[in-house]
Amino acid sequence: MKTVIKTTNLQKIYNNSVAPVKAVNNISLEFQEGEFTAIVGPSGSGKTTFLNLIGGLDKPTGGEIYIDGTEISTMKESELFDFRLRNIGFVFQSYNLIPVLTAKENVSFIMLLQKRSKAEMEQRATEMLEQVGLSDKLNSRPNQLSGGQQQRVAVARALASKPKFVLADEPTANLDTESAFNLLDIMEKLNKEENITLIFSTHDQRVIERAGRVITLVDGSVSKDEVIS
Amino acid sequence: MKILLILAWRNLWRNKKRTLITISSVLFAVLLATLFVSMEKGSYERLIDSMVKYSTGYIQIQDILYDEEPSIDHTLLFDEEIEEILNKYEEQIAYHVPRLQNFVLVATENNTRGSILNGIDPELEIKMNDLNEDVVKGEFLKPNDNGLMLAEGLAGILNVTVGDTLVLLGQGFHGSTAAGTYPIRGIVDLKIPDINNNTIYMSLSEAQWFYGTDNRVTSLIIMPENPARTQQLAESLRKVIDPEWHRVLTWEELLEDLLNLMKFDVAGTMVMMMILYIVIAFGLFGTILTMLIERRKEFALLFSLGMKRAQVAIVCFFEALFISMAGVILGIIISIPVVAWFYHHPIPLSGDMAEAIADYGFEPVLPFSADPTIFINQALIVLIISFLIGLFPVYKVFRINIMEAKK
Ligand SMILES: Nc1ncnc2c1ncn2[C@@H]1O[C@H](COP(=O)(O)OP(=O)(O)O)[C@@H](O)[C@H]1O
Ligand SMILES: [Mg+2]
Repeated sequence: MKTVIKTTNLQKIYNNSVAPVKAVNNISLEFQEGEFTAIVGPSGSGKTTFLNLIGGLDKPTGGEIYIDGTEISTMKESELFDFRLRNIGFVFQSYNLIPVLTAKENVSFIMLLQKRSKAEMEQRATEMLEQVGLSDKLNSRPNQLSGGQQQRVAVARALASKPKFVLADEPTANLDTESAFNLLDIMEKLNKEENITLIFSTHDQRVIERAGRVITLVDGSVSKDEVIS
Repeated sequence: MKILLILAWRNLWRNKKRTLITISSVLFAVLLATLFVSMEKGSYERLIDSMVKYSTGYIQIQDILYDEEPSIDHTLLFDEEIEEILNKYEEQIAYHVPRLQNFVLVATENNTRGSILNGIDPELEIKMNDLNEDVVKGEFLKPNDNGLMLAEGLAGILNVTVGDTLVLLGQGFHGSTAAGTYPIRGIVDLKIPDINNNTIYMSLSEAQWFYGTDNRVTSLIIMPENPARTQQLAESLRKVIDPEWHRVLTWEELLEDLLNLMKFDVAGTMVMMMILYIVIAFGLFGTILTMLIERRKEFALLFSLGMKRAQVAIVCFFEALFISMAGVILGIIISIPVVAWFYHHPIPLSGDMAEAIADYGFEPVLPFSADPTIFINQALIVLIISFLIGLFPVYKVFRINIMEAKK
């Protein structure tokens, strides 16, 4: 098994006016290629902060992050921009899509920035939208799609460029139960078919059992790390 | 690059109304500015045209000292040498108009007054400025006429009319005394009050005899075949005249004081234009600023996905540029026919304003200029302003904190 992400003593302390907040407190974890992991924990437990750190969006105040063996916490901002573009797929809780682009253009967007060939983009974007069940929405703008459909487009985009791993921060938080399950089904299916490492955070008990591994955070620290067969 | 253009273009139409309002504000600014400048320039062109027509002509050849110290002693001998030069440039010169101008005292039985005596070639003068059309009484001078023609204002002051005789007294060439009596042949209305109150015309040959200057003139006016090539012709003439004795001046040099005064006046209206520009600048800036603020989350998304700051900045810059370009281009497209219409149908004036302008011999209208540089300049100014405003989002985009914008 190949280690895709490794953190050692990862720490993020916010110096609030009242008292410093240890949003991420000494987390040392490894994620293997192809893993489908859920990060769970109550609100404020540090899920978003942790994902932002390993996604290269935020800087840790201590510890290291290795992606495929490369330390990213010491990278310059411009290097991180490029690193994210090449290696990481993102799905956020909301505001995932570029409003002026159609579903297909949104899915192609990363590949476009990566300067992939037109044929590849076309083929891959259509294929991914088919995979998430939106073949009939190729040319719809985000505001013509439901919340669940928008999240599915975001998942399609995150996976279309075949990144090293995909980070999804509470992707189902704004969805009704049916859409939430549907999205998780799709994520699970794509994780298997594309063998892409996928980490999502949630505080939603309903969707946790879909994951192959569940890491529980409490006050910025790992309190449980279990593999579910 | 294409995707950046697509993003910018579509972003503009996310809020159609706002974009259209901003474009129209730029459009109206350009339209107002061109109309304004065209009107101002139109008045100046009219004034310059009339000065060139009646007074300076396009080019003058003078004695080297005359411009510094206009005196009958600093006159130019209109000899074969000069004739030869003029012949050489025959194709570029339509005709030339010699003038001998000097101060003179004019006296009647009970009145004396200082005036300007103009020795003119009657036929050439008519060719240049249709002076004969301004005769209000009597007749225009004939070649070699030994009578006078008086400006209407001066005739009024001296209380004389056609048929009366005047005594002229002056200083002739090299300190000689010039004196003579002359009958009045005609009276001309010269419109511009100052000139109308102190001008006397005499045929050139008679004036040369009166001042004892032989074949001398104070200025030799050159009217080019193509007035647009005045500068080039003046340059050519400068190369062949004897620079130790003669000097070639263009109307721009002859009217230097007037042109400077206009420049000063233009500076005044520039202040007004600045206010107009500032108003559009703020309108454009407001739109750009709102577009930035309402898209913070989108920028955070784009940055998270790995789109470079420079790329996002280019999108924002294009947006600003699109708006202003559209405004400028539409502004020019609309102002061209508007200016053209006013150029052919100048706004008629009425009341005191009309009278004042008529007093100067102009038609009482507000003339417009159709000089293409007006459009180009206005377009450039507005474009430069929008370019500068377009730099603001660029600066902002480079300073957005991703984590803060994400919230
Ligand atoms: N920018 C910030 N400044 C200060 N404190 C923050 C900031 N972001 C998060 N925190 C704090 O860090 C802790 C973890 O937050 P977060 O990672 O968002 O938790 P979760 O995503 O699990 O709800 C919380 O106590 C939160 O208040
Ligand atoms: Mg969170």
